[in-house]
Amino acid sequence: MPIIVNVDVMMAKRKMSLTELAEKVDLTLANLSILKTGKAKAVRFSTLEALCKALDCQPGDILEYKAE
Amino acid sequence: MEIKITTKHILIVLNIITWLIFIGVCIEAGGFLFNTLYTLFVGPQNAEFFWNRLDLSSLYKFGESHFITVTTIVNIVAILRAILFFVIVKFLYDKKLDLSKPFNSEMRRFILNIGYLALGISFFCSWGTTYTDSLVRDGVTMPSIHQLRIAGADVWLFMSVVLFVIAQIFKRGIELQTENDLTV
Repeated sequence: MPIIVNVDVMMAKRKMSLTELAEKVDLTLANLSILKTGKAKAVRFSTLEALCKALDCQPGDILEYKAE
Repeated sequence: MEIKITTKHILIVLNIITWLIFIGVCIEAGGFLFNTLYTLFVGPQNAEFFWNRLDLSSLYKFGESHFITVTTIVNIVAILRAILFFVIVKFLYDKKLDLSKPFNSEMRRFILNIGYLALGISFFCSWGTTYTDSLVRDGVTMPSIHQLRIAGADVWLFMSVVLFVIAQIFKRGIELQTENDLTV
């Protein structure tokens, strides 16, 4: 998929673990793992908002477009 | 006291009904098969007292090949009906009906299997009806297609078409459910 999810990069920058992030954005570890591994088909605005808030970043820092 | 009928209750009732029908159609298929083999290999006089008081003696006298053709069609229809109910019974017994996630590939395969079986029954019923009609025109005294249990070809065809349409809807449903499962 040409949309790349950079949650792991942002997590590393903020030195945040997956469990910590899951607690902050109120997501299950399984769902967060789906997002992190790029298996997700869609992201809700509410999830994106929570992620941006928890990681103190912009949506563009989490999502990236790269042509195949 | 209010009695609340839930999906669980309906499934239990359906399970019991399908088991009863399955046993019935198995006995019927076994009866037809046994009588056919008995008439062909042991005693041709049995054609007069075929399964369920059917008199096929006139057909047997007309020609053994015609007798074999008609009984083969009747047997195939009876066996396909038994298989159809076996598939339903097995599906309910294995508890593959997950109501929390109803759109799954198992369910779609089940609907498709039932559809194919219904189509097969429809084909053989239609063939049997046409064949017995031609025999009646030739002057053979035949039991009715209802007694031979090969009536309702159009109903089976309609059922198979409806099931194929439902299977297509399920295909889209599975895609939507997968998408929903992968939405975070």
